[in-house]
Amino acid sequence: MDRPAVAGPADHLCWVFDDASSFAPVARQFLADGLARGERLLFVGDAEGIDALRQPATVLPDVGELVARGVLHVVPVDGAYRTGQFDADRQLEFYDGATRRAVADGYTGLRVVADVTPLAVDPGGEADLVRWEHLADDFFAHGPGMSAMCAYRRGRVDPAVLAAAAAVHPQVHAPDDVPPFRVWFDDGGLAVAGVLDAFDADHALRVLLASHVAGPVVRLDVSRVEFVDAAGYRALARWAQALQARSARLCLVGTSRLFRRTWQVLGFDQLTDAIVEAAGS
Amino acid sequence: MTASTVAARPAARFEHSAHFYGDDHEFLAGVVPFVREGLAADDAVVVVEPARRLTLLREALADDAAAVQFHDMAAVGANPARILAVWQEIVAQQVAAGRTLRGVGEPAFVGRREPELLECHLHELLLNHAFDSGAPWRLLCPYDEQGLPPAVCDGARATHPAWSGATGQVHGPAVPGTAVQAAFSAPLPAPPRTPQRGRSYRTGDLPAVRQLVAENARSWGLSGERVEALVLAASELATNSVRHGGGEGALSAWRDFGGGVLEFTDGGHLTDPLAGRRAPSKDLAGGRGLYLVNQLCDLVQLRSSPAGTTVRVTTWL
Repeated sequence: MDRPAVAGPADHLCWVFDDASSFAPVARQFLADGLARGERLLFVGDAEGIDALRQPATVLPDVGELVARGVLHVVPVDGAYRTGQFDADRQLEFYDGATRRAVADGYTGLRVVADVTPLAVDPGGEADLVRWEHLADDFFAHGPGMSAMCAYRRGRVDPAVLAAAAAVHPQVHAPDDVPPFRVWFDDGGLAVAGVLDAFDADHALRVLLASHVAGPVVRLDVSRVEFVDAAGYRALARWAQALQARSARLCLVGTSRLFRRTWQVLGFDQLTDAIVEAAGS
Repeated sequence: MTASTVAARPAARFEHSAHFYGDDHEFLAGVVPFVREGLAADDAVVVVEPARRLTLLREALADDAAAVQFHDMAAVGANPARILAVWQEIVAQQVAAGRTLRGVGEPAFVGRREPELLECHLHELLLNHAFDSGAPWRLLCPYDEQGLPPAVCDGARATHPAWSGATGQVHGPAVPGTAVQAAFSAPLPAPPRTPQRGRSYRTGDLPAVRQLVAENARSWGLSGERVEALVLAASELATNSVRHGGGEGALSAWRDFGGGVLEFTDGGHLTDPLAGRRAPSKDLAGGRGLYLVNQLCDLVQLRSSPAGTTVRVTTWL
């Protein structure tokens, strides 16, 4: 995938790039898809990224004119994110306000390209970042009409932090170094897709533990999981116990026959109070 | 010494004996008194036999059968590596209930295939290894001398310190403690000289291993959940190689004895011969992979020595 393969109103893409000049065409394409749907556009980047966006190109050629008309806002990264003391709730307020203003101004929504590399390089910021990405994902799915591409510059971001951030996006572009699973908000709960195996189970558990979930029953749709091994099942069981400790109950939905059989063989039906539902039930 | 005087005293330790029989009459002549003496002593009596023997025994025990717990060996012990956890759970239940246990178990029943009988031999040795230092109980293992290959019955005389049969009671030499490690580290019989498919694997190759196993499984005519289960088992075994077996391993696949075979080899040394045979711990600690493989697969043959580890998984087709 070297251009966004899907473009929908609630997109939440993670894009890993190597330099500003190779990223600019991807950003332009993502924004152009929004423009075609009548959305307001917002580009958040560093000076190099903003400069690359303004270079002549065939897709979205008239950046200066779009900015002049107020269709496209170009914001330096420290104007949109308070790096150093990142606050997910304030950040959400920022985007919620911007999206509502866009809709009030007659646009169908807000489409954002944000180079969030500076956030990801904050020391110890992995948990905050993952939490933010989860909140944002929920907001994109259920909020007033925002979609976003979160871009990370490889080489500047610790691979472990990059992997954690990539894992919480429903759509990921990165040639390597990303986990084989993804977790995102979907239909009132969380969904997971891909592979949950021994090599990434601890990581999956960290992502699940950092997820912003509430309510007495937390649903996790596993119907798009391609493969899960004993360590992956154990990560789910550990999350179920962690939820149980705060009086929430995990409900695994969309499980296969083998999933249910394995859950039982491993004894997790006895060790957790998780509800395990078959696909289609 | 007669059977009844042996049984009059409570078991002092794990007493593991074999009973050799030539026909139904001799089977019942050994097993029925053993069961009745247990009932008379208020022992919990649990019988794990293939279905035909269960029927025979139920009829012979008549009303006494109601006090006996019966399990179908061909179901709970289809893969011989699953049987030990069954006994372990039964022993734990009876210890918790404050009762003595008397078990009858026929792992090596007639109809088992050659590689299964080999695993039954290792299983009998592992019973000694697992229970010798634990709570006292008695286990009687019937062997069909007419239906089984003579080597299997000779093997049973080497895995049981005592046995009975048409010629009476025999107390053999104690089974040496080294026998388990010897059997556990002995190489498996060489694969047949049929074309083999395979590959080596290391970190990062797990998706390719899973794909290769799925292709093999489908080429054997398996489908749906059986393919998925075999892929899961294979992934656990290849992961063990990568994580604990020196970082790499090799997979080969072939057909033999009416089954599809996958074999995983690596340079690691698994020192615990009971690995994967005990029921998993009651917390969320790791180490459930081999146990899961044993539960999912029809036959699992695990051997390990300082020279390396081999796990051969057979799916009956």
